[in-house]
Amino acid sequence: MSTKNIFIKLLLILSLFFAACSDSPEIDNETMLDGDQIFDPSLYNPEQYLVSLSIDNPSSTQKNKSVIIAVHGYSGSTFEWDEFRAFSAINADILISQVLLGGHGRTYEEFKKSTWKDWQKPIMAEYNALREKGYTNISFAGSSTACPLVLNLIKEGSIGDNGMKNIFLIDPIVIPSDKTLTLVGLVGPMLGYFEATNTTIESNYYYRFRPQETLNELLDLIDKVRKDLQKGYKLPTGTQLKVYKSIKDDVADAVSAVLIYKGLKNSDNLPINIEMLHSELHVVTRLNGRDDVTQKDRNIQQQVFEDMLMRLMQ
Amino acid sequence: MTSMICLQAQTTDKNEDWLGEFKVGIRTQKTQKLYWENDLTVNFTSPKIMNNRVHLGFSYVTTRLGSAMGTNAIKQDNFLLNMGYFFRPQKKLQPFARINTGFFYADYEAAIFDELPNTAVLFSVDAGLAYKFDAPFTVHLSVGYNLNTGTGADGPGTLYPVYYQMSIFYTLFKNK
Repeated sequence: MSTKNIFIKLLLILSLFFAACSDSPEIDNETMLDGDQIFDPSLYNPEQYLVSLSIDNPSSTQKNKSVIIAVHGYSGSTFEWDEFRAFSAINADILISQVLLGGHGRTYEEFKKSTWKDWQKPIMAEYNALREKGYTNISFAGSSTACPLVLNLIKEGSIGDNGMKNIFLIDPIVIPSDKTLTLVGLVGPMLGYFEATNTTIESNYYYRFRPQETLNELLDLIDKVRKDLQKGYKLPTGTQLKVYKSIKDDVADAVSAVLIYKGLKNSDNLPINIEMLHSELHVVTRLNGRDDVTQKDRNIQQQVFEDMLMRLMQ
Repeated sequence: MTSMICLQAQTTDKNEDWLGEFKVGIRTQKTQKLYWENDLTVNFTSPKIMNNRVHLGFSYVTTRLGSAMGTNAIKQDNFLLNMGYFFRPQKKLQPFARINTGFFYADYEAAIFDELPNTAVLFSVDAGLAYKFDAPFTVHLSVGYNLNTGTGADGPGTLYPVYYQMSIFYTLFKNK
């Protein structure tokens, strides 16, 4: 066989291989957040989700009220903190900004081209807007990927001394449970995207299809945060942080809490607060839309919410 | 100098014809997207076992002499027994494939994490190249895959799948 023939056959095989690698999933626009019909509600009515937009001229009482910036995880939406908003409305007098991460809550294509720095921008935008309006008692609550995003902001010095009072991290991801994520740079380009298992309700609020580009971004983010924690750093003065971590979690490995505990200290060099939860859910603070929620899950969720509110009201 | 080292290394005892070669060395290992782990390795062959084509070995690598030195990385230890098949045993460049088993331990250092799994039975495969220098040194380079990694529900979280290792051996004993 001539060299030319071998070359042509190789080209043909490679073409078939790459043609078999689907780059665009089949999206049901009517039922999936990935499509071009369902968007996060905060994009239509941002003033209902962001305190910085809901109150034009805050009074001095409002400026001193506890405001919490609540942020969802990778592939999620503001829905993730709806239950906390509902619980707080009954049990506490606080203000809540439910921030939508950049690139999220829109179409699959917009999600695909976003970077982790894009995801992070709306957090700082709301934080800065609140500071500019004179709010003095700002806190943060993040679930899953929102946690490394805020840990990075702390490390970079974007949140200064007395900038945030409390930081709550729910199931922070620094180490993924699915270790094959570390190979996404190798297999991702061949597969194009990965498919998650969502319930019918979840399909309205969570992306079903995860572009490999965004998984690479997620991996870059957690790799950076892990290395920063390895070197060690401190919280700003006047900021308290508490981690709530499920012992068994199929998304964020529980050892993530170990790395945060070892790598991040309070400003006075004392250890941060950690609570290991006897839960097998990733982000137990969001139960709506899940199948098979138990009373134990509800009890843990309530216990976490009560603990957060108690710390916010101190 | 090289010839002196060779003479020292090739201490031959014709009565011990079961022993082919005995090497000791250092091993450095990098896990994909995680830690550096380093320490010791030993390797043994025999003409009685597939004519020196099968290598038996032991390795110990730890982050204590790698990523965890002076940092907040998790202190973890890997104790490994391995058995490998080496192709072209008479040549300088030898491709090889190995299976490895052993024990993994991670120290989380705080009682609050006592409930988390921190030990595991290791089972991995690796493949690579060995090069024998004229002097009594051999280098092994390989890529490995841990088949028993952490899953979030079971197993230590810092036990990752893909690793790369380099071992540099000094031949302590060799039968002619």
